Amino acid sequence: MKSTYINHLALLALLLISGACDDNLDLAPEQSLDPETATSTAANINNLMVGAYDLAGDNTLFSGDAQLASELLANDGELAWRGTFQGPAEFNRKQMTAQNGFVVPYWTQGYAAINQANLVLDNLDVVTDEAQAQRLEGEAKFIRGLVLFELVRFYGLQYEPGQSNTQPGVPVVTASVADASQIEFPARNTVEEVYAQVITDLTDAYNLLPESNDEYADKYAARAILARVYLQQGNYAAARDAAHDVLSNSGHSLTANYADAFNNDEDALEDIFAWQITTQDGLNDFNTFWATREFGGRSLTADVTVETPYFELFDDPNDVRSQFFYEGNGTLVSSKWQSQFANVPFLRVAEMHLIRAESNFREGSSTGLSPLEEINALRARSNAATLGNISIETILTERKRELGFEGFTLHDLRRTTSNVAGLPYNANNLVMPLPQREVDANPNLQQNPGYIN
Amino acid sequence: MKTNYSGLLAFFLALITHVSFAQNTFSGVVSDSDGLPLPGASVFVKGTTTGTQTDFDGNYSITAAAGDILVFSFVGMRTVEVNITEQTPPELNITLNLDSQSLEEVVVVGYGTSTKRKVTDNIASISSEQIAEIPTPSVQSTLAGKAAGVQINQVNGKAESGIKIRVRGVATISSSQEPLYVIDGVPMINNDENINDSPINPLVGINPQDIESIQILKDASSAAIYGARGTNGVVLITTKKGKEGKTRVSINSSYGFSRATNKREWLNTGEYVDLFLEAGRNSGEEAYVIDVFNIFAEESVWRNGTVDTDWQDLALVDGSVEDFSANVSGGDEKTTFFISTGYNKTDAIIRGNTLERYSFRTNLDHNISEKFRVGFGTGISKTKVDRLSNDNAFATPLQAIAQIPFTRPYEDDGITPNANTLYYNFLFQEFNADHQSNIWRVLANVYAQWNMTEFLNFRTEFGYDFNSQVEERFFGSLTESASTNGFADANAVQNEKYVLNNYFTYNQDIAEDINLEAIIGMSFEDDRRRLQFVEGQEFPSDDLQTVESASEIVGGGSSRTAFNFLSYFARTNFSLWNKLLFKASIRYDGSSRFGADERYGWFPAFSAGYILTEEDFLKENNTLSLLKLRASWGVTGNAGIGNFASRSLFGGASYNNRSALTPTQIGDPSLKWETTTQWDIGLDFGFARNRITGEIDYYNKTTDDLLLDEPLPATSGFLSITRNVGEIRNSGVEFVLNTKNFIKDNFRWTSSFNIAFNNNEVTDLPGGDIVSGVNIVREGETIADFYLVEFAGADPDNGDALFYLNTELPDGSLDRSTTNDFNEASRIIAGSAFPDIIAGFTNTLNFYNFDLGFTFQGQWGASIFNSGGRFQSASADFFDNQSRDQLDRWQQPGDVTDVPQARLFGANGTQNSTRYLQKADFIRLRNISFGYTIPSNFTEQFGVSRLRLYFTGLNLLTFTDYNGWDPEATADFNANNALNVGREFYSAPPAKTYSIGVNIDF
Repeated sequence: MKSTYINHLALLALLLISGACDDNLDLAPEQSLDPETATSTAANINNLMVGAYDLAGDNTLFSGDAQLASELLANDGELAWRGTFQGPAEFNRKQMTAQNGFVVPYWTQGYAAINQANLVLDNLDVVTDEAQAQRLEGEAKFIRGLVLFELVRFYGLQYEPGQSNTQPGVPVVTASVADASQIEFPARNTVEEVYAQVITDLTDAYNLLPESNDEYADKYAARAILARVYLQQGNYAAARDAAHDVLSNSGHSLTANYADAFNNDEDALEDIFAWQITTQDGLNDFNTFWATREFGGRSLTADVTVETPYFELFDDPNDVRSQFFYEGNGTLVSSKWQSQFANVPFLRVAEMHLIRAESNFREGSSTGLSPLEEINALRARSNAATLGNISIETILTERKRELGFEGFTLHDLRRTTSNVAGLPYNANNLVMPLPQREVDANPNLQQNPGYIN
Repeated sequence: MKTNYSGLLAFFLALITHVSFAQNTFSGVVSDSDGLPLPGASVFVKGTTTGTQTDFDGNYSITAAAGDILVFSFVGMRTVEVNITEQTPPELNITLNLDSQSLEEVVVVGYGTSTKRKVTDNIASISSEQIAEIPTPSVQSTLAGKAAGVQINQVNGKAESGIKIRVRGVATISSSQEPLYVIDGVPMINNDENINDSPINPLVGINPQDIESIQILKDASSAAIYGARGTNGVVLITTKKGKEGKTRVSINSSYGFSRATNKREWLNTGEYVDLFLEAGRNSGEEAYVIDVFNIFAEESVWRNGTVDTDWQDLALVDGSVEDFSANVSGGDEKTTFFISTGYNKTDAIIRGNTLERYSFRTNLDHNISEKFRVGFGTGISKTKVDRLSNDNAFATPLQAIAQIPFTRPYEDDGITPNANTLYYNFLFQEFNADHQSNIWRVLANVYAQWNMTEFLNFRTEFGYDFNSQVEERFFGSLTESASTNGFADANAVQNEKYVLNNYFTYNQDIAEDINLEAIIGMSFEDDRRRLQFVEGQEFPSDDLQTVESASEIVGGGSSRTAFNFLSYFARTNFSLWNKLLFKASIRYDGSSRFGADERYGWFPAFSAGYILTEEDFLKENNTLSLLKLRASWGVTGNAGIGNFASRSLFGGASYNNRSALTPTQIGDPSLKWETTTQWDIGLDFGFARNRITGEIDYYNKTTDDLLLDEPLPATSGFLSITRNVGEIRNSGVEFVLNTKNFIKDNFRWTSSFNIAFNNNEVTDLPGGDIVSGVNIVREGETIADFYLVEFAGADPDNGDALFYLNTELPDGSLDRSTTNDFNEASRIIAGSAFPDIIAGFTNTLNFYNFDLGFTFQGQWGASIFNSGGRFQSASADFFDNQSRDQLDRWQQPGDVTDVPQARLFGANGTQNSTRYLQKADFIRLRNISFGYTIPSNFTEQFGVSRLRLYFTGLNLLTFTDYNGWDPEATADFNANNALNVGREFYSAPPAKTYSIGVNIDF
């Protein structure tokens, strides 16, 4: 009898213990929000927007690596790749593989940024302040248009002016994904369709964004990218007008000295838009690959050094741009990235001058300044001798002198249908393969020609 | 002099006792039924602490008075008690018979114990003797080769290196592959808390000398009692406890040295210069090569070879292992105790890597009354590790092999590392950096047991596990952190777990020949982890190395996470006529880790056994002494995923120091545990009075609802989602054979052989292939096979690297023609990352006072991909020093070789292909020990009951065709990745250790 009583008591104790524990199974993560909360307030939408800059401004995309790909893919002896990373070495050899460790993140990081922008666009209804909603919509479209433009240039063949441009570009994704049911398996849009989306997004951004917007994109940042897009398309009139708008109205102008345009912790007067790097976040991969170890680079000599053919571009020994180098263990290294935590200039006024000058020249117009005056003005800042006359070649060479190593070379060669290190501008092996993981994960994607495995 | 004095004193005291209590000395030989002496048998006076053990020849000597009871016992033998009377002769020879139940060896099972005989499951048992004295600081390493079907690999040669244990193959793709560890009934924390992708063995704080036994629950029937965490097997660790009788003091001390199991051959300066000048010529870059050479050394140096540095010798150095442990144990009828302390210092074979551990353990058991019993066990340890970068860093020592041989390691002063090297000179890490981890581990448990009736008891156990780790790094102004004048960080993690178990055990012979045993209970477990870190840069001096001195704090943070389990379990064992055995168990598990809709799951198991040798027709059979058939079926789970994997989450981020939000994962709300259904049929046998015993098992283990990180198109913004999809099947055969080859008076030799064949197949994968780098998961194939373009050697005409096209032809066969364009070739499944055969062979020999034990371990069927091959053996593609086999490069038309023409920047076959894939079969002399016990009649003069000197070795011999560093060494930064397996990347080989030591028992 007694033992039964004890058993009952013990069993009761057991049940009590277990009952008390049941609620404990509801644990919530302490460092994360669920999607509903994350998209429920205007403040959070604003945070999501800041997050989109964070993703796009990542070192694997716009803070160095995309520009490195453009320069190395176009390298014909002006540069030497001395680093160990195989990804850039493959660019330099023009022999990319679909597992290239740099090709993969351009894509994955790019679409992460696009999704982030889409999350902002799809949840704007919670932003009740009209001006704020407009600004956020503009910024999100700026990021989406910018990233799509970058992706289509790398993963698709060059846009051919006046053609139908049905060559495959990249998928245009305009719907956000926040839960599993929204995942899609998009096919590639044509280059024409991608450019159309890019122009729509950037034009909307231009219309929606304020005149100035701290370190974030303002309307002239959108307009400046549009100038770049039109130039890439060979739409010189539109490129000229966009660049002219920026030069006339943005309030940005050339810094007094060439050196002042680089290695700045705060945006320079010349920066229409720059990616922000601080000691606490952001990584400047220009610095990683183009600077010596002393300045935060990967190696003693710098991974990318500048070689004799580049110096032969200069026509005046007093041109400060020809001296904007330092010595790295017996090699020459560009001085543009000597500060590890400096911002990454992305849209400089100098580029706008060059776009306007080239477009005016090609269109036979003189919007703003005549091409000759404009080029000479730019040269004057760097103490380079005034030119008496110019041709399209001198303008393009001026671009190389002014914008060297900033990621323009491949795109300039392709849009001008020039040979790239002996390869035709539309060679298959100048087009990046779609990342292998992406082709494996999405059966609707067609790999670029020349990449079987 | 002093010893003699104490001996004299002891003798004198003994005389006094003898006289005072009129005791008599009894002595004799304890032997088995064959008349063979039993060394180590326990002899004690019942109810006192007076006791002794028999020596090697079975001799004992003890004093007792009339009325005392002498107890003679030996594991596996029936205990004999002798009542001492005035008439008892002083010479008392005792024969112990094999326990009629024979295999009465106690086996620890979940929530209780059983005996080898009664168990109907497949459980591998490893005793303390098998793991003692192996000169390695990690418990798991000592188990290699000892248990059938259990693969144990240390990731690489670092002293604190993570260890992978795979029980019966890999049964999951994305969730944890590690077994559940349970120590004295408490599930252990098993989180690798490294901060630099170089894993730390979470069990590093455990002193192997404190372990009494380890049981590995391999089949579902045994593991199902641990429900949602049983799939990968359960490792039950039982620590030593005191035994009733004389107090024993045991000391073990050893010291040894170690070196790498293998070194590879690299080019010397002359070979290097020739090869690279040739590579430069072949690429039209000879002038550039000379330019680069001139950067790193004067022309006279590299031309004449006046500097020829062996960088490998700088990285792989001589190490040492020092181990000391002491314990005191004993007790009486009411209380038993075990107290121990240990010290281990391991200087690894990799420069700069050192581990030092202090450990303490106390186990105490006390009978309050016949009804109540309580106990307490606690283990405390402190481990300090001087750590290294992960394998994928210039700072890691082994990457130094890439340095040019004509660069000097040091400046002329011989102290300051030379900064002008091709890559960052790792010697700066020793000179100007510091990386240390301090780990504190507390394992405590307390229990109370209430014997409510003769048949029923209630036991409550409360366990606590605390793992605290502080990892601090400093990189000075000469290191890779030069641009920021130094960098330092400090990371602290506190992980704690408490576990509450309450259960009833019922055990009764309900009728003649019918025994019923049952348990029912519950368990609650709560695991919380906190993390804090801070990092800073800009240091005023290289002597100020903590973040305190950083003028700029550049990062910091803290986080908290938790999970818990609430479980109910029941098990019943039922035996009829001692020959029919039945078992059924059920566990009901709930966890915070799973979606609200799928929070609980049932995990049932059944098993049965039939002991044929208990049947009359076999009972008297002299040849066949044991024949037991076993069959089991059960369901287990694998809950080894992130704490909140089922949810879509957004986390904080920042841009320009402004707060931001960004999606961090996308989740499937219906996510639940993986379910494994396993059946096992087995046969236990014994021949010739169990001189030959063994086990054969066949198992089939099917895991469905795989927790899979399914790759997503990145166009969604996400790379993967964890889902329950797919199915994997592991099936195989395990065979164990134990033989007593010789049992003669002064010569005994026993052997134990085990071999396991496992066949792993992905049987269902709805989303199609999952490719992760060079590994693939494909339906119909083994998990994580290598998926590579097939290398076809060098083109004899021009030295181009060739690849097989391997594109599928219309008839389904593969196109075996070759191409020199890597991008034209298709990938094929080229090998497996996991072995399909693993085996172990242990021998123990005793010859007079000598003893010898050794274990061979073997593995067949796995391959290793050398991810570093594209740098190390790359036809002089870049300036990295090359493996010597690159000298076989193609040089002129007609050369037939596997090494394509040397071409600087030529990428001549450097892509990921089978060029860098190799079979990693091996047989290894895993451990060996050779000892000599000084005759006890000599040592007892000094009060020492046993004094043994020994030599012990680890990994002394390795037989393999693999030409990398070691067939077990893989990249540590991939160690926690379930798919990127079998890859090597500048991964240090394990240590080969030679130690000498001494055991002293008082």
